[in-house]
Amino acid sequence: MSLLEVGVYGLVTKRNLLKMLISIEIIAAAASMNFAIFASTAGDKLGQAFLMLALSVDTAMTAVVIALVLVAYRELKILDIWDLSRLREK
Amino acid sequence: MFLYEEILAVALVVSAFLAVHFEDTTHAVISFGAMFTVLSALYFALNTPFAALFQLVIAVGTIAVFFLAGEMLTPKKESRQKLRNIVLGVVIAVALSLPAILLDLQADALMNPHNLSFFSALWEYRALDVIAQGVVILVLALGVATVLKERRKEG
Repeated sequence: MSLLEVGVYGLVTKRNLLKMLISIEIIAAAASMNFAIFASTAGDKLGQAFLMLALSVDTAMTAVVIALVLVAYRELKILDIWDLSRLREK
Repeated sequence: MFLYEEILAVALVVSAFLAVHFEDTTHAVISFGAMFTVLSALYFALNTPFAALFQLVIAVGTIAVFFLAGEMLTPKKESRQKLRNIVLGVVIAVALSLPAILLDLQADALMNPHNLSFFSALWEYRALDVIAQGVVILVLALGVATVLKERRKEG
């Protein structure tokens, strides 16, 4: 819960694309932690399997977003989310 | 919850908060790496060793990529964050982690783990998390709807 709060705080207050990605990772970690807690509480190994699946998807998502951030920087020299959204108006 | 799990929970929230709070991207990534390490230790403490190892392995790759991206994309400027701001961030993070210590799973879940129904798992043991994640999804949906509406207005 606290991790989720920290992630949402970062997502709302930061404009740097990398910081926003870190915040999204924190939110994902908070969400996937539920699986570990359930696996621990219920004594079931299935929770760990689901956690691994969630982590794999999360890592794939991170790779895609990092690639997008790198392309945005290489093509446009932009790391600020507001500058990126203003491009649509130009 | 045992004492060392509480310490790990506080360390987890503090490192996560510092990862968001640090202005320097390299410091933020280092703190983010510390967060992943503490998270892995917490998984070990929760008796989920496979998940802990998997988390640790993934964290190594993720942190390496973040570190490289942070180094490549951050302009070199000397802007030092004041120590007072960092200490304030740590204090806020400790305050944020208080619910992790005070709120705990209900003991009867540990007594009778195999009778855990889907409903009770969803609403009784991790209700706050589920509701908060629902709020996040709702806000995202509203954001997407607003963006689409604006785009439709523009033409």
